[in-house]
Amino acid sequence: MADTIFIGLSLASILLLVALGLTITYGAMGVINMAHGELVMIGAYTAVMAAIYLKLNMILAIPLAFLVAAGLGLLIERLVIRHLYGRILDTLLATWGISLLLQQAIRLEFGLSFINIHVEGLGSGLQNLSVPEFLNQAYDLGGFTVQPYRSFIIVVTIALAALTWFLMYKTRIGIQVRAIMRNPQMAAAFGIDVRQVSALTFAYGSGLAGVAGVMLAGFKTVSPDMGSSLVVDGFLVVVMGGVGSLLGSAAAAGLLGEINGIIAMVTNDIFARAVVFALVIAVIMWRPNGLFSFKGR
Amino acid sequence: MNQRFFDRHRIAEIAVYLAFIAVVLAMPAFIDEFTLNRFSKYLVYGMLGIAIALSWGYAGILNLGQGLFFGLGAYMVATSLKLQSYTSLQQGSDTPVPDFMLWNAQPGAPTDLCCITDGSFLWLPFQAQWFGIAMAIVLPTLVAFLVGSAIFRLRISGVYVAIITLALVLLVRPLIIEFQPVTNGFNGLTDLGWLTFGGFEFDPYLVETYYVIAIPTVLVLLGARWLVATRAGLILQATRDDANRARYLGFSVAAYQVFFFSVSAAIAGFAGMLYVVASEFASPTFMDIAFSISMLVWAAVGGRRSLLGACIGAILINSISAAASETEMLQEAWKAILGLIFILGVLFLPRGLAGLGHDFIEWLPLGRRGATRPQNGNAGSEPAE
Repeated sequence: MADTIFIGLSLASILLLVALGLTITYGAMGVINMAHGELVMIGAYTAVMAAIYLKLNMILAIPLAFLVAAGLGLLIERLVIRHLYGRILDTLLATWGISLLLQQAIRLEFGLSFINIHVEGLGSGLQNLSVPEFLNQAYDLGGFTVQPYRSFIIVVTIALAALTWFLMYKTRIGIQVRAIMRNPQMAAAFGIDVRQVSALTFAYGSGLAGVAGVMLAGFKTVSPDMGSSLVVDGFLVVVMGGVGSLLGSAAAAGLLGEINGIIAMVTNDIFARAVVFALVIAVIMWRPNGLFSFKGR
Repeated sequence: MNQRFFDRHRIAEIAVYLAFIAVVLAMPAFIDEFTLNRFSKYLVYGMLGIAIALSWGYAGILNLGQGLFFGLGAYMVATSLKLQSYTSLQQGSDTPVPDFMLWNAQPGAPTDLCCITDGSFLWLPFQAQWFGIAMAIVLPTLVAFLVGSAIFRLRISGVYVAIITLALVLLVRPLIIEFQPVTNGFNGLTDLGWLTFGGFEFDPYLVETYYVIAIPTVLVLLGARWLVATRAGLILQATRDDANRARYLGFSVAAYQVFFFSVSAAIAGFAGMLYVVASEFASPTFMDIAFSISMLVWAAVGGRRSLLGACIGAILINSISAAASETEMLQEAWKAILGLIFILGVLFLPRGLAGLGHDFIEWLPLGRRGATRPQNGNAGSEPAE
């Protein structure tokens, strides 16, 4: 049973890693970023390529992946999303286009594959990221096997969630972000540079996706379409938890991860996913604003 | 009245509808059977475009799971056609039994639909072809009615509807894969028989089969166009623009939303059924999220608030896609181009091709301008969230 709960917890932490970025971009900016999964994928590729060309190990690749994904996020915000504020469903469509574009850019190695140049680490071939030695050996802790890599993911997730909480609740910019979440016009009237803050928020959310990518690369095959199913899961967590609520996202991720883990143990993975989706529908019906939500907007 | 009736936009609309119908009906004269079969699939996609325009453009309901209704329709009719397939008749029993059920059979189970696998009895009524055809429309409509009644009565709107429909299709797809003894799981239903009416077998490569798809497409287009111009259609558009205002005016907003949501599902189910007739398979990929979102792309490119625009958008994009996938290199590049088209379309052409057409008609120097009438649709602005 303890094993099952532990597996559920590690599923939950991956869900939360993906959802953290989404919850602040959707909450603060009303942007449904369907390309979030592709930012995760970019993070994973960054780690793979950093290992090949810079000989960086996985842990050192985390800040690099954060910066690359954040930079790309900033670019996306400047070029596309900036023009779509207030048109929430259009952001969904445009970012879906972006996700297609990013997937193909990686798959075709930015078009280089057309002229028969192959870049090692890019493209659709199966790649893996080697996990540092000390995170690979399972060890025994009083009759309970601890898988260090899963524990590592949980620790990183908790650290990032804590960092995000600190930024949102203890810094000046966090206060501005929360003001924008509640009422963008009012925030602007109080002299907050809504566009600037939104752009930074989006970049930060994208950066978190990049970190999630590095963590995923440690146990999943890195491929151009690895992110496409993640965004949907992440989004369900965000909506279920309550838009813009960190606590809600954490609770929803925990709940969905544990339920998925436990039901998968009793029956199988496919059935577990069906139950999770049914649960999400039920929660939205019961509380359309999510489990933890504030009045606003 | 005169002014209204001979308004340039109205004349242009009638002309475009007539031209479209003429092209669709005359198509067999220009292309061979193989291309015709392909084109009939594009028409099915066009029908999906109409369903999307109806629910998204006119009702303001963004359904991210339209593939669910398409898939249900497809599976229902495929079940009947599978039983008519020659492989189902060759399993050594008096009544047809699908080949995959034998591979999944319980040890010692009789080769009969009643009990060869768990749940195989569900196939029994599908031995009658009319039952599969009827269910292809009834089941999606019923599901949409039940889901719609639950969500619209609770006044759930906008993004939350999108999420629920998304979760719904994600919920059903794994179940279809899971119940392999009844649905053949990942592989879907293949090796289907042909649709048969009065002894005539509709081989997908016959001109007659093309018309089995083309004529319903035209009828659905005209029916939907008629529906949105009725009183109910106008009230629906009022609820899209401001649900609370419509509520205060005394309209039962939920009832109109449920009705149009169900109609849209019925059209999608019908499209699924016709797709099976043309393509001879049903597969769980019909319920992929990517497919459901692609439908939105087609409608957005063609013009989400124009039934014909969305229909033409679907046909156009799929024709180009198919042409591009002839060469492997182009196929991959095309996906990237599609993404780009999508981004640029949303940014610069929010009303799609239909909006472009509208502006072109407005610009034509034809004496009296239609300036006395308000322009249709205001630059793709979304209903208030």
